[in-house]
Amino acid sequence: MARSAANDRGGPRERDDSRRDGAGRDDAGPDAPADSSPPALAIEGVSKRFGSGEASVLAVDDVSLTVERGSIVGLLGPNGAGKTTLIKCALGIVLPDAGSVRVFGTDVGDGRRAAYANVDAMLEGARNDYWRLTVRENLRYFATIAGVDPDSVQARHDRLLDRLELTAKADTPVRDLSRGMKQKVSLASVLAGGADLVFLDEPTLGLDVESSRTLRRELRRLAREEGLTIVLSSHDMGVIEDVCDRVVMMANGRIVADDTVGALLSGTERDVVRVVSADIDDRVVATLRERFDVRAVEAGPGAAGRDGRGSTAVEVAAAGDALYDLMDALREAGVTVEDVRTVRPELEEVFVDLTGMESGGSGTVGDDRTAAEPRGRSS
Amino acid sequence: MSGGEDIPSSAAADPIDEPRPATYYHLARAVLYREYLIFVRYPANAIGGIVVALFFFGVLFYGGRLLAGQALTDSLSGIIVGYFLWTLSVGAYSSVSNDIGSEVQWGTLERHITTPFGFAPVALFKGVAKVIRTFLTSAVVLAVMLLLTGTRLSLDPLTVVPVAGLAITSVLGLGFAAGGVTVLYKRIGNWLNLLQFGFVALISAPVLDAPWTRFLPLAHGSAMLQRAMVDGVRLWEFGLADIGLLVAVAAGYLLGGYVVFHYATRRARRLGVLGDY
Repeated sequence: MARSAANDRGGPRERDDSRRDGAGRDDAGPDAPADSSPPALAIEGVSKRFGSGEASVLAVDDVSLTVERGSIVGLLGPNGAGKTTLIKCALGIVLPDAGSVRVFGTDVGDGRRAAYANVDAMLEGARNDYWRLTVRENLRYFATIAGVDPDSVQARHDRLLDRLELTAKADTPVRDLSRGMKQKVSLASVLAGGADLVFLDEPTLGLDVESSRTLRRELRRLAREEGLTIVLSSHDMGVIEDVCDRVVMMANGRIVADDTVGALLSGTERDVVRVVSADIDDRVVATLRERFDVRAVEAGPGAAGRDGRGSTAVEVAAAGDALYDLMDALREAGVTVEDVRTVRPELEEVFVDLTGMESGGSGTVGDDRTAAEPRGRSS
Repeated sequence: MSGGEDIPSSAAADPIDEPRPATYYHLARAVLYREYLIFVRYPANAIGGIVVALFFFGVLFYGGRLLAGQALTDSLSGIIVGYFLWTLSVGAYSSVSNDIGSEVQWGTLERHITTPFGFAPVALFKGVAKVIRTFLTSAVVLAVMLLLTGTRLSLDPLTVVPVAGLAITSVLGLGFAAGGVTVLYKRIGNWLNLLQFGFVALISAPVLDAPWTRFLPLAHGSAMLQRAMVDGVRLWEFGLADIGLLVAVAAGYLLGGYVVFHYATRRARRLGVLGDY
């Protein structure tokens, strides 16, 4: 993909062509740069305090973070964790008190305008473009603002509209579109200038299932095929798990976890198995409790057995030999197992553990879930 | 990366883009076109501004005639020129801060901050676009005022546009400074808008009796515009010193305002309040 500007005609846009080739990123992985060229984003020791004296707030506290080109990094944290301030520091909208931010090797503090040639952001969701202008007018305007002659990227705009299923609405004022379409137009306008690094804040907020899937697909494709680097902030754990190579969790202005989704999940307890049987009754449960760590017992329709009713599910901590012991115990108790599977912890649980947040509390993920709902997902 | 099916890649069949860098010409074109689109798609704003300006002139004209009679009629030409310049000045002064306010409301301000052109140059281009728009609406106001009062003025565009344009460039500079201060101290914006009533004093400044007032914004330009529109003096009939002072005052205040804006936004970045409304 040759998105680079020839840059032989002056103007504000200077780009590093060396990062254009996204080939090989699938092999290299997000944490293994394919070459020695600088990462898309390098944040080193950034701190930011707002106000002074006792009323001051340390929004970001000595944060260091590197994002390799072509990767998608999820930024998670409860409200007030410092995510937005960190993003604004990365964008140069807020100057940090200490530390440095480099975008493709360009120091944002020293060469902010040069850095802006390679970066764009969707910070306002659907409110990120002009609603009185048509979809295509927005793309052309924001491509220009991003430093690209819009006539030279007309084909790119057509592809963007096509892939985001907006072609039929290209000449419609944005205000006449649905919420989901407005959100997609926002993303399209951010991508219209061909930035190599984009920050997306809640890109799927308010989207229906199909629109969200379309947008996620496009984000993955852009990263894989075009080498686009994405820093994505969202409270939607499904989006983070589905799209991101890597997750950075923040709390109280600091990074509390930085790893791949898989590694974060595998780092948590995975030795819980869920057994479903119509033969599990109070006596069996009591027997199991004597020998094992029984985490949960569910009865009724939520644990339907072969006959669709009357089954009970128990979740027991049992790994390795303990799993064989559990099966033996169930056989001895005369239990015919209908279903057994390991319980995979959800990212939300990891998030809650690491950030010390209460589920359902302000600023946590999954605020619409009740605390009584079972957590974890069987796999 | 996990899960989900990807759209089949069509990259191989895509035409290869060769993005060219946008120049300041492209920026000017985009900003002007956007201003035009906003103008025609928010007609109520434009029409409302014209109606309000004409309403105040109507009050001034009919009220003044009731109170001052012939005295008002004798100075009517000067009043119309002054009022025309005042509407231009108000538009120029509020262009930057109003534009920032609108961008905040629309959620698009950050995108103008994170532009490789730089926030201040983009704000300047947008301010100029707003001034051009103001010229159009003020021209309508001027035409209605002339029809309403039956007054005749010299309307040589080669003279009126440059003189009025340079006169209000100094106010655009003040507007730039006010915009910068507004970015830094949000609530001060409404107070700064009160300054526009001070333009009346600047437009009617006694430049002959107090020559130092020529160095104030608007004053010298206003005197030249009066001579151009009331007395019919053409641009090339003005002395070089007059034109030189007009240009110098315009450039000085614009540069000063630009510098204030630049430093105010830099401080706003430091305080973390840029775009934080």
